[in-house]
Amino acid sequence: MTEPENRLRNISNHFSNSFKTTKDERLRVGWLCTYTPEEIILSAGFTPIRILGEDRVDKAEGYFPTNFCPYLKSSWESILNDISKLSAIVFANSCDGMRRLYDICKNYKPQTPSFMLDVPRINTDASLKHFSNNLFELAGFLGELQKSKIEFDFLKKSIEFVNKKRTLLKKLNHYYSQFNCLVDNSDYFDILKLSMISEPEIFVQDLHTYLEKIAEESATLEIVGDSENDGFPPRIMIIGNFINESKLWKSFKELNCKIGATDLCNSSRYYEGLVEDMEDMENASKNSTIESLLGAIAARYLNKPQCMRMANLGIKLKEVKENIINNNIKGVIFFSMKFCDNTLLFYPLLRQHLSETGVQSLFLEIEHNNFSEGQIKTRIQAFLEIL
Amino acid sequence: MGFAENIRETLKIKIQKNLNRDYIEKILGIVGSWPVLPVYGMTFASKSDKYLNIATIKNIKKAYCQKYPVAYGSLFLPYELLHSLDLVPFLPEVMAGFTAGIGIADKTLKEASARWYTPDLCTFHRSASGAVELNLFPLPQFLICSSLACDAAQKTFYIDAKKYNIEDNFYLIDVPYNKTADSIKYLASQLEDISTNISKKMGKQVDMDKFKNTIRLSNEFRYWALKVNDIRKELLIYPKNFNGLSFILPFHGLAGTKDAVVVYKNIYFELKDFLEKQKGSSGNKKSGSNIKIKQDIGKTKRILWLHLKPYYKNNIFEILENNNCRVVFEEISQVYWPELDGEKPFESLALKMLSHPLNGSVENRMAAILEMVRSYRIDGVILFAHWGCRHSNGSARIIKDTLRNNNVSTLILDGDCLDKNNSSEGQILTRIQGFMEIINSEQS
Repeated sequence: MTEPENRLRNISNHFSNSFKTTKDERLRVGWLCTYTPEEIILSAGFTPIRILGEDRVDKAEGYFPTNFCPYLKSSWESILNDISKLSAIVFANSCDGMRRLYDICKNYKPQTPSFMLDVPRINTDASLKHFSNNLFELAGFLGELQKSKIEFDFLKKSIEFVNKKRTLLKKLNHYYSQFNCLVDNSDYFDILKLSMISEPEIFVQDLHTYLEKIAEESATLEIVGDSENDGFPPRIMIIGNFINESKLWKSFKELNCKIGATDLCNSSRYYEGLVEDMEDMENASKNSTIESLLGAIAARYLNKPQCMRMANLGIKLKEVKENIINNNIKGVIFFSMKFCDNTLLFYPLLRQHLSETGVQSLFLEIEHNNFSEGQIKTRIQAFLEIL
Repeated sequence: MGFAENIRETLKIKIQKNLNRDYIEKILGIVGSWPVLPVYGMTFASKSDKYLNIATIKNIKKAYCQKYPVAYGSLFLPYELLHSLDLVPFLPEVMAGFTAGIGIADKTLKEASARWYTPDLCTFHRSASGAVELNLFPLPQFLICSSLACDAAQKTFYIDAKKYNIEDNFYLIDVPYNKTADSIKYLASQLEDISTNISKKMGKQVDMDKFKNTIRLSNEFRYWALKVNDIRKELLIYPKNFNGLSFILPFHGLAGTKDAVVVYKNIYFELKDFLEKQKGSSGNKKSGSNIKIKQDIGKTKRILWLHLKPYYKNNIFEILENNNCRVVFEEISQVYWPELDGEKPFESLALKMLSHPLNGSVENRMAAILEMVRSYRIDGVILFAHWGCRHSNGSARIIKDTLRNNNVSTLILDGDCLDKNNSSEGQILTRIQGFMEIINSEQS
């Protein structure tokens, strides 16, 4: 199989405007967990920026034990160094590590306003209501920073806008996972990264244009992976937490490994699922309130592809199973950032489940922004040989 | 080694050699039977230890005997709920402590590793999971856990539920981050729903009279626990082998039972006796007391212990005592909740959970620690940094800095509560000695 001649190799050309806005001076609010609703931050007039963490952790080491989430440590380094010039930070009650990072931030950087968003671990009517109330508190916190209240129309527009971004990202995923060599691994993850750190309106414009070109390109290609013997290597699924490693994605390409599906904090768990019932709200806009919009947002976040933090791991197993079937997956590579209890404790269950269904899996632990490329590559290579 | 200790060692070795559920049940059946249990209780050096061990064996035996519905529970559950539902609680995290105590943690941890629980995870949960996989724990009908205080129990309990094929009987109590009117309501509604659901599965209705009675017993236990804690504000000499960190099962798992009342009432009277002797001895060194007072009470340094302790054989507390330091209180022994209202059991229990200092922000924990530092006139604080506990160790820096600002020295003692191979005895000793030098020099 050869790559398309005019393959869109360099995304920096297509997303040059987005790249510029990662350094703009608009008021920004940082976030760390995919349970943080960007639409509320946007509606308050801020640019939501995901804190990605520094490549090198220096000062932050002294604040946490050695065996502590490396992503949170590097995020603290970034907050301490004021890299993103954040006006405030929204934390989510997602895990032990995040709770402690919030404590550290409040104690040692009190000048940066911070908010802890309590996200339920169960999905019931009562938890939905509780979460809606918490979102209302968040809206109040952000409104206060701007010395104004979040308006219904702004929130509604923000919801529609973020929905649009999600739809486009899902489309990107379609081209990435269903076609060979159309969107390569590094590009896919770089675009996803941009989607979380650049000015949203400009990014969406760039992505829209990019996808139009990709769509033209795809018209000449066949969808891969629909059959057992399509001439491509077996399709694998990547499951894990926040895996943001350019070198890693390059390794997959070098190994000629086709990633058919992903379930990560920085992939499907970020963009899958829309805030629904917007049409109903349109029809009943006269009676709609901020609370009803927040309720719809709460429902989206509690129903999106689950993080392993959620109580019912059976749902997570079901999601993985569906992904495996729908994408003709032959093997699963499970990446866990070190010391992430929620992720690490899911693997024993997942492994057992996969072995019962005859799907091979490989477990790899990595550091954030610092991993042993050669070693990981060798292990992936060995795994692919087994498949 | 005395006769009693010989018996206990023999039992340990027998369990180590016959590691299976049936054998454990058999041993508990013998030790926990009348009149063996009271006689066994008498082999302990103090009343406190005697009643602790009797209550522990009695309740663990009940969980193993297969006559009652057993529910696995995570540490900070409101156990009044389980007792009201006629469920026999079994606390895997506490039992993981026993795996270290009876010397089988090597095996349970090995089993967990073979099942892909990585060594970076907390050994309490790894050892418990290993024990479940080795079929050492009793068969549960229900598994109930909460998000208080850490993430791990929620996951391991679900895996256990899957193993036992009872995922529908797995319940997570989602404890909100903040204590507000809304969160109390949210939590209370979960407790009520779980009670209704479990009762339905057991073919009965929620018995509110039973709840009232359990709440009454819980308040009675709370009353005695507060009295014990009050005495400890002055007490510097303790019964032999007394360690507040050994009372986790009655303090949590037996809250709402007569057993917890009996244990704490007996601790109170024993410690009261010791306090009187202490007062007598400090006034008159030849008071004729039959309680040996080794240390020079006036010079004893008062230590507050945070988190838990190693449950395998170790000499940390002996070293402290030999150097005139005494753990006068433990974070885990604090009565943190208000009196419960039998008329509003679910709201009361929700409030109990939300009052826990380990829930929510570290500010809650710090406020509780500072209060303990003041009440117990603490000279130094030791935080046992159990390997893999992100919840507690992630706060270590704030705890240390805040206490320093309050002129209290803190030792962050890295170690492992269960895995002796992951704790360096020599290093711990050196660090304790260094710490004792610091607090002694501060005083002088």
